[in-house]
Amino acid sequence: MSEQIRTDDSILVRVHRALKDFGVPRLIIAAFLLLMFIVAPFTGVNFWSQVTNVFNRFSWNAVLVLAMVPMVHSGCGLNFGLPVGIIAGLLGATLSIELGFTGPVSFLMAIVISTPFAILFGAAYGGLLNRIKGGEMMIATYVGFSVISFFCMMWLVLPYKKPDMAWGFEGTGLRTTFPIDKYYGGVLSNFLKIEIGKLVIPTGALLFFALLAFLMWAFLHTKTGTAMTAVGSNATFARAAGINVNRIRMLSVVMSTWLGAVGILVYEQGFGFVQLYNAPFNMTLPAVSAILIGGATANKASITNVIIGTILFQGIVTMTPTVMNGLINLDISEVLRVVVSNGMILYALTRKTEVSR
Amino acid sequence: MNKQSSGKKALNFLGANSVPIMFIVIIAVCIPIVGFSPTFLLNEIVTRLSRNAFLILSLLIPIMAGMGLNFGMTLGAMAAEIALIFTSDWQIWGIPGIVLAMIISIPISAVLGLLCGKILNAAKGREMITSYIISFFMNGVYQLVVLYMMGSIIPIIHNNIKLPRGYGVRSSVDLTRIRKSLDNLLAINIGGVRIPMATILIIVAMCLVIIWFRRTKLGQDMRAVGQDMEVARAAGIDVERTRLISIVISTVLAGLGMVIYLQNMGDMATYSSHSQIGMFCIAALLVGGASVDKASIGNVFLGVILFHTMFILAPAAGAKITGNEVIGEYFRVFVSYGVITVALIMYETKKRREKAGIGQQLAAAQREGGVTRA
Amino acid sequence: MRKILFRVGAVLILLILAGIMMIVGRGHTIYFDNKTLEYNGESYAAIRRINVFVNGEQVAKLSKKERGMATCMGQSFSFDIEVIREKDGEPEPYHFDLSLPYGMDGIIVNLPAIMEGLPQEAWMSEFIPAPPTETEEDELPSDEFEMGGEV
Repeated sequence: MSEQIRTDDSILVRVHRALKDFGVPRLIIAAFLLLMFIVAPFTGVNFWSQVTNVFNRFSWNAVLVLAMVPMVHSGCGLNFGLPVGIIAGLLGATLSIELGFTGPVSFLMAIVISTPFAILFGAAYGGLLNRIKGGEMMIATYVGFSVISFFCMMWLVLPYKKPDMAWGFEGTGLRTTFPIDKYYGGVLSNFLKIEIGKLVIPTGALLFFALLAFLMWAFLHTKTGTAMTAVGSNATFARAAGINVNRIRMLSVVMSTWLGAVGILVYEQGFGFVQLYNAPFNMTLPAVSAILIGGATANKASITNVIIGTILFQGIVTMTPTVMNGLINLDISEVLRVVVSNGMILYALTRKTEVSR
Repeated sequence: MNKQSSGKKALNFLGANSVPIMFIVIIAVCIPIVGFSPTFLLNEIVTRLSRNAFLILSLLIPIMAGMGLNFGMTLGAMAAEIALIFTSDWQIWGIPGIVLAMIISIPISAVLGLLCGKILNAAKGREMITSYIISFFMNGVYQLVVLYMMGSIIPIIHNNIKLPRGYGVRSSVDLTRIRKSLDNLLAINIGGVRIPMATILIIVAMCLVIIWFRRTKLGQDMRAVGQDMEVARAAGIDVERTRLISIVISTVLAGLGMVIYLQNMGDMATYSSHSQIGMFCIAALLVGGASVDKASIGNVFLGVILFHTMFILAPAAGAKITGNEVIGEYFRVFVSYGVITVALIMYETKKRREKAGIGQQLAAAQREGGVTRA
Repeated sequence: MRKILFRVGAVLILLILAGIMMIVGRGHTIYFDNKTLEYNGESYAAIRRINVFVNGEQVAKLSKKERGMATCMGQSFSFDIEVIREKDGEPEPYHFDLSLPYGMDGIIVNLPAIMEGLPQEAWMSEFIPAPPTETEEDELPSDEFEMGGEV
């Protein structure tokens, strides 16, 4: 909650207020990351290859974090139901490969095929959320889980035949994980990539994210977009102003779901594998805590939050294991990641918020 | 109460109890398919009842106090696991081992419950999602303690508990020395079904304690807070403290219940036992007909029986129907999550309908010319 | 005032109970050796056959150089042995009551020595298990949602 910044405030006071707004936990995290970067060269870790890693992981994850923005804007809270979009994306990926597309085209087709699924699932999910205003986050979590476990059954039962994906001799059903280098692995990351010694910048993927981010920003400045923000800040006023609150919320959910679908495809092309079954369980909390680390709250999120948050979060995830290992020969990075990401979410949940429904 | 036609009453009954009824249908379909013998089924159900009932009972108190489903019961489970690691390491066997583990778990549970309660008090209105995240957060802290500090900072004597690298506890701790100690204590055999009397007696005692607790001042305070926080505050009840106590009690009970659970299982999956237990216990309670704001002892027992019967039948049914047992395993996970989702949705829609109902009554009263003071 | 007293009292009771449990519940494994023992220059020979009984049940039939085992809870342990010195000889019964040291998990009792009435330091030794050889891959915890578990 920022207080009014008066024009006669000195720079020092303004900086002080901005930092206080940014929050102590975030400052600690940013400082920690900076420390990691400074210490890195001394531990025998190659600085530039680490920077590459951070760039890479940023490019894979940023779209998933971007998927949080529409729903936060419209007051639906943090999208704990991201798995709904992820499943739509997985359907697109698997069907695109099953239908025989390869190379960059398979990526395009995956997006094209996921879109109707994303819209369908998103509409159902959005309709549900509209009926339970106030309890979105908890229910979204469990809707997501139910969808994932339902599809665990589906991946086994649906008649996929492609040998790259399905179990060969023993039975039917898709494999848990399969590589996609023949398909769209690296398709964005390698496009226009810049190599300077050990530093490799996945330009294609970064441009793709920039494109989506720009489209999001542009949307938020259209009439519908501003209506969305209005609904999020004060639904009653918005309704009084003639905005159809339910329709806008539904739209935001569909957008978040679609971005989730595209997001998982971008992640897969960077990671090189498609992961089915239980994997989507682990994708929601990182995205939620990334955007919170970037400065968002349960009802306010901007694109800047997405960028800062993903850099900080992925930075910590990448740097800590290697640096810690090099320093004290002790890898507590996994545990640290759990504590930091969940702690961040707790911090956001316990802040006083002015929410009017 | 208006007069309702019997048809409408039946419909209402179905609606309110849709989840248990759905389960009965699923079970009724699966049993003939699978073809387990009645003795086998009965044995399994009695075992699982005695193993899980205490844990599920621990969920009742926070619901009474209006805190919803306590996903933080995982914290009590973690306390129990730490206590059992020590008990195993100090080579304390049998019943004394179980008693010792329970005693050690109490202070750990109390501290964790205190922490959890304080955080929940700062997140009023979002208790469930917050307790859900707390359980993940604490899992990280637990790993920090058990995977890194035990064996190094915290002395662990025996090598077969530690990881080969010298510190940190193995992912599976053997509990054969206390295995079934409580269960075997007064076990009786009726027609081929083995009944662990001591455990059952403890569970019955706990039920009586809960019934007694509801009548104490503290219990009444909790129910008042659960109904309406502001009204309770106006009546002079320390709302924050009452909520805190409810979580602490629940966590301690979860710890004791987890010791009972693990002595039945015989070994402990150090890093995953506690996380699964939370989810499955909550699902079982909901299957028994409980809701986010109302749960009774009857729900606990009905829930355990229905949920665990489904749990046993599903993989076997899956194997019979599709030739693939894994489908059954995924099915039972799907049903567990689905049940929680449905219960949460029903709770939220009821909440909104009540709010809308009150608003309508007020509007109607105003239309009829002034609100009469009741 | 009464409240504090009540709480302190409860904590004390639990602590005392815990202490009792730790003593009563301390488990030991007793190993019976029918092996020749050297002590103070003297040699105490292993015997043709020793049968070991705990609580009336036979737990071991030991020929020369063999080792048997029994578990016990608590700090005292009683057992009987039947000693057969020659083929088809009469079994000689002996009875022993031991008090076990708290710190040892595995306690080896050398039977020939204890039969001769030697002091405790002669016939009792500690059993040190061989360090476990790592054959199984010990998987560190992943944060994968393992839903294949039993409940």
